[in-house]
Amino acid sequence: MANKVSKTAGTNKSFIDRMGGQQFIVLILVIVMFIFFSAMSPGFRKYTTVVSILDYSYYIALMAIGVTFPLLTAGVDLSIGTGLVCYSLIGGLLVRQYGMPVAVGMLVTVLIGLIFGIINGCLVALMDLPPFLATLCTCMITRGFGAMVVGGYGIPWPAAAQEGGWFRSIFKINVGGQNIPIGFLWIILLVIVMSFVLNHTKMGRYTRAIGSNKEATRLSGVNVKFYHIMAYVICGLFAGLAAIAYSAIFATVQPGSGAGFELDAIGGAIVGGVSMSGAVGSIWGTLIGVFVICLLKTGLPFIGLTANWQQIITGLVLIAAVLFDILKRKKEAGK
Amino acid sequence: MGEVILTMKGIDKSFPGVHALDHVDLEIRKGEVHALMGENGAGKSTLMKVLTGIYKKDSGTITYEGKEVEFHNTREAQDAGVVIVHQELNMLGHLTVAQNIFIGREFKKGIRIDDKKMNEEAKKLFDRMHIDIDPTETMCNLTVGKQQMCEIAKAISHKAKVIIFDEPSAALTEAEIEELFKIIRDLRAQDLGIVYISHRMDEIKVITDRVTVMRDGTYVGTLITKDSTKDDIINMMVGRVIYEDPKTKNMTPPGAPVVLKVDHLNAGKMVQDVSFELHKGEVLGFSGLMGAGRTETMRALFGADPIDSGDIYVNGQKVTIKSPQDAVKHGIGYLSEDRKRFGIVVQKTVAENTTMADLDEFANGPFINKKKENEVAQKYVESLATKTPGVDQLVVNLSGGNQQKVVIAKWLTRNCDILIFDEPTRGIDVGAKNEIYKLMNQLAAEGKAIIMVSSEMTEILRMSDRIVVMCEGKKTGELDISEATQENIMNMATREIE
Amino acid sequence: MESIKQNPLVKKVGFNRIVLCIVLLLMYGLFCALTGGAFFGLRRILSALNYAYFLGFLSLAVTFVIATGGIDFSIGPVMFCCALIAGFCFTIYGVPMPAAIVISLVVGLVFGIFNGYLVAYWDVPSFITSIASMNIAKGVASVFTKTQSVSWPQSSQEGGWFRNLVTFEDVPVGLIILLVVAVICAIILNQTKMGRYILSLGSNKEAVRLSGVNVKKWEMSAYVLCGLLVGISAIFFVGAYTTVQPGYGDTYNNEAIAGCVMGGTSMAGGLASISGTIIGVFIISLLQEGIMALGLDKNLQLIITGLIVIVAVFADVVARRRKN
Repeated sequence: MANKVSKTAGTNKSFIDRMGGQQFIVLILVIVMFIFFSAMSPGFRKYTTVVSILDYSYYIALMAIGVTFPLLTAGVDLSIGTGLVCYSLIGGLLVRQYGMPVAVGMLVTVLIGLIFGIINGCLVALMDLPPFLATLCTCMITRGFGAMVVGGYGIPWPAAAQEGGWFRSIFKINVGGQNIPIGFLWIILLVIVMSFVLNHTKMGRYTRAIGSNKEATRLSGVNVKFYHIMAYVICGLFAGLAAIAYSAIFATVQPGSGAGFELDAIGGAIVGGVSMSGAVGSIWGTLIGVFVICLLKTGLPFIGLTANWQQIITGLVLIAAVLFDILKRKKEAGK
Repeated sequence: MGEVILTMKGIDKSFPGVHALDHVDLEIRKGEVHALMGENGAGKSTLMKVLTGIYKKDSGTITYEGKEVEFHNTREAQDAGVVIVHQELNMLGHLTVAQNIFIGREFKKGIRIDDKKMNEEAKKLFDRMHIDIDPTETMCNLTVGKQQMCEIAKAISHKAKVIIFDEPSAALTEAEIEELFKIIRDLRAQDLGIVYISHRMDEIKVITDRVTVMRDGTYVGTLITKDSTKDDIINMMVGRVIYEDPKTKNMTPPGAPVVLKVDHLNAGKMVQDVSFELHKGEVLGFSGLMGAGRTETMRALFGADPIDSGDIYVNGQKVTIKSPQDAVKHGIGYLSEDRKRFGIVVQKTVAENTTMADLDEFANGPFINKKKENEVAQKYVESLATKTPGVDQLVVNLSGGNQQKVVIAKWLTRNCDILIFDEPTRGIDVGAKNEIYKLMNQLAAEGKAIIMVSSEMTEILRMSDRIVVMCEGKKTGELDISEATQENIMNMATREIE
Repeated sequence: MESIKQNPLVKKVGFNRIVLCIVLLLMYGLFCALTGGAFFGLRRILSALNYAYFLGFLSLAVTFVIATGGIDFSIGPVMFCCALIAGFCFTIYGVPMPAAIVISLVVGLVFGIFNGYLVAYWDVPSFITSIASMNIAKGVASVFTKTQSVSWPQSSQEGGWFRNLVTFEDVPVGLIILLVVAVICAIILNQTKMGRYILSLGSNKEAVRLSGVNVKKWEMSAYVLCGLLVGISAIFFVGAYTTVQPGYGDTYNNEAIAGCVMGGTSMAGGLASISGTIIGVFIISLLQEGIMALGLDKNLQLIITGLIVIVAVFADVVARRRKN
C-alpha cells in the first residue's frame, strides 16, 4: 500500500514536476537566454560579461534570499532597495568621514539592516499593518534617513587600491590582470546555509507554516508573532549584506537611489517559484530566478535595448510570473 | 466496554438570547464508541466545545479519570489526552504529513529539526492505525480522506485517551469510511473512549456502542445501539411538540403555473442530479441535514458558483445562468444564509442596501436619485415593519431580523418573482421570526414563488407547501405538506444511499 | 452603536476632519512662529499651494483605488511618465499644447486601464500590479525621452499659456480647478452609481456580486478614473515645477497615500472621504513648505510622511479591531 501511494503520487507528477517544477523551467530559461544573447551579440560572449552578470547578481541575490522569507509568510518587504542604499551610506560615512576601519563600517551596515528588519517585523506582526504598506513607509523612511545622514552627497567606499579596499576582494580578486569573481562562492555558501535554515530548522518550518495557515499554526502552540517578526529580521539582515556587496562592486553609492532594486529581488524570487500567496518556494529557486533578472540587466544592452527596457521587461516578467502562479492555483483549486 | 473515563454532568451554557445547553449529561467509557446525535443546532458541537475548553461552561461538572477538571483551551485538553478531530481540517497544506503531525513540537537534533525521526514516528503512528500514508508526502496532495487520517494520527500522537470525531465521514468516500471504521475499531480495542458525532443513521448502527441523543440543547436519553432501532433514535431526535401550527395543506392555488424548473442540475460534489419545479405562489421547503447540498444547489442555480451540467427554465423559457447578474436579470433573488458575508454591505445604509440590486432604476444617467431611493427604502421599511431609526442608518446597527428585512427589501425593489430564502431565520430571535414568516406567506399570497432552505424542522413544517428533501448532494424525496411528518422527513434526510 | 450625543456640526463635518483643520492651522502657526513671522504671507501660501495642486490630484486618484480596498504605488512614476511623454511630444515633435495635455491624460488612462484590468479581471494583487507598472512607467518614460529630462515651456514661451491653469496673475487658478475637481470627485463618490458600487465592493465585494452587480467592471473603473486624475496631476506638476526627469516620482506615492489615509479613507476599503483627502493634502503641502522655510533637509519630508502613514493606518487597524 505504501508503494501504491508513492507510485500514484509519482505518476501524477509530470516530468517537469519531478525535475523540480518551475525551477527546472526557469533554469532552462536562463540557459536559453544565455544562448540567445550569445548568439545575438559577439560582445556578450566574453569573460568580462560573465563577470559583470555575477557583479550584478551579488546584491540582487542577497536581497532576494532575504525577501524570500517575508514572501513565504505571504507578506512582502518593499524597503530592501532603498534600505540597502541607506545602510551602505551610513556604513560608508563612518569609514570615510570618521575614519573608522572598514570592518566596523561593514558591521554597522549589517546592524542597521537588522534594526530596520526588526522595525518592519514589528509593524507587520505586532501592529497588524498590511506588509506592503508598512514596508512602503520604511522604504521612504530609509531613503530619507540615508540621504539626511550623508547630507545628499554620494559616498565612495574605499577603492581596491586604497586603504581598507581589501573588502572589495571579498567579491572579486585580481589575479594576473584577470578579475576572478569569487563572490559567487559566498552566494552559494549563503544559499546552502539559508536552504538549511528554511528546510531544517524551526525558523524555516514556521515561516512556511505561517504562510500556509497562520491561524492553524497559532493553534498548534507556535509563537507565531516571534517567527513572523524573524522573517522580516532575516530579510533586513540580508539587505544589510546586500548593502556590503553593492558597496564593494560599485564605486559610489548615491543617496536617493535604490528605488526599484526591490523589484529585481522580488521579481527574481517570484520567477524562481516563490508564491505570492505564501508557503511555496525555495532558496535555490530564488537564486535561479535572480539570474533571469541579471541576464536581462546585462544582456539587453547587447541587443541594442537600453537599460530602461530592462525596467519595463522586469515589470512585465513580474506580472507574468504572478499570473502564472494565480492560474496554477486556480487550476489546483478546481481539481 | 470498560470503566468510565469521562463524565459531563449538568452542563449549562447560555449565549446572549440562546440557552444553548440546558443541563446536559454525557458519560464516556473506556473502549466504547459513543454516538452523539441530534438535529442541527441540538447542541452537540457546543457540548464538545465546552469539553475541550473552547467555551467556558456556566455550570455543571466535568470529571475526567476520576478528577474534576476544567480545560481552558484546546491545548490543555490535548495535553490531558482529550482531543478533537475537527470537521473542517486545521492543516498546513504546504507542509508534509509528518511536519503537520508534529507542528509546534518538532523533534530536534541541535538546531536542526530531525525530520528523519519525525517521519519514522509518523510511520509508526500509521502502522499502529494500520494505514499506509507516506509521511513525506505534501499534505495538499492527499485526498480529504487521507488528510482526515492524518488528523487522527495527530490526535493519537498526543497520547489521547478520549477522541472526539465531529462528523468525520462528511467528506469521505465509501472506501475511506470503511478505513476510518477500521481505525476507530482499533482505537476502541486499545481502550480509548471515542465520541462520534454524525448524522448518518447507518453509520451509527455499524460503528457505535451507545447513542446519546440531544434535542434543542437538552439531554434526551442514552440507548444501547444494538438494542434499539433507527426509528427509536429518530423519535428521540424529533420528539418535540410543535407549538406553532404546522401547515396542514398545500396553499398553492391549483393550476398555478411553474415559474422555475430545474432539470438534472450538477455542480461539484454537493449537487448531484437535482431536479425540481417551483410554482407561482408556492413556498417550497428544502429540508436536509447539514452538508446535504441545499445551499450549494441554490448557489449554483443563482449563478454564484459554476454549474457542471443541467438546465434551468424560468417561466417555461430555458435560460443560461452564468453569474448572479444573469439570475437577477431573470427575476431570481437570493437571500444567503450568511447575511453578513453575502447578503448586506454592513457599512452602508439601509437605503443603499435596499437599492443595491436595482440601482439602474434609481439613476438618471450616472447620478443616483437619492430622493427616490429614500422614498422606496422608506416604503419598504414601513411595509416590512423594519425597525430602524431611519433609512440613513448603517445596516451594521440593525438586529439580525431587521437586517434580513433589508435584504428582502433589496429583492422586492428589484421586483424579483422567485425568491430563495436560505435559512431565513438563522440568528433571528423568536418574535422577529414570526414576522419573517408572516412576510413570506404574504409574499407567496401576492404571487411570488419562494424556495426556503431550512434546517429547522418546525420551520419547514410550518411554512412549506411542498418539501424537497436532500441528502449528500442528492434529492432523496419530495413530499406534499399534507403527507409530511417529522419522522418521514428525517427518514429521507438520513437515507442510506446505496 | 453611537451612544454619545454629538454636536450637530461635528456630526455633519466629521470629527476627524475638524481635528485635521485644527492641525492644519496649528502647523501654520507653528511655522510662522519658528521662522519668526517669515512664513507668514501670501508668497509661502502660494508656494505651498503649488505643491498641493498636483499632490491633490494624485491623492484624489488614489482615494478611489483605496476605496475599493486596493492600492496603487504607481501614481507618482506614472505622473512623471505622463509629463515626460506629453512634454517630449510638445518640445521635440512640436505637438500643440492642447494635444500635449490630451496626451498626458491618455497616458494616465492607459496605465489606469492596465492596472485595473489586471486587478479586477485577473485577480493580481493590486500592490504587485502597481509596483510592476511603477517600473514600467519609469522605463517607458526613459525609453521615450531617451533618458533626457523635459522642460515644459515658460509662460512667455509658445504654449506657455497652460501655466494659467495653475496661476493667472497671482490668482491661484489651480486651487479653483482642484476644488472643482474635488467636488466632482465627491459627487462621483457619493451621488453616482459608480461611487456607490466602488464603496460597496470595497466593503463587501461578494455581497455586491451576489446582488447581480458586475463587480469586475466597477472595480476596474476606479483604477481608470485614478489613471485619468494622475494624467491631470502631471499638468499641474509641470505647471509649477517645469522640469521632469525620468526615473523619479515614487516619493510622491507615499505623500498621496498619506494625504488620503490621514483624511479618513480606510485602507480596508469601503470608506472614503474626498474632503478629508483634500485637507490631508494641504497638511502634507504645508509640511513640505515649512521644512523648506525652516531650512531643514527636504528628506525629512520622506521620513515624516512615512511615519504619518504608519500612524494613520495603525489607527484604522485599531478602530476596526475594536469594532469587531
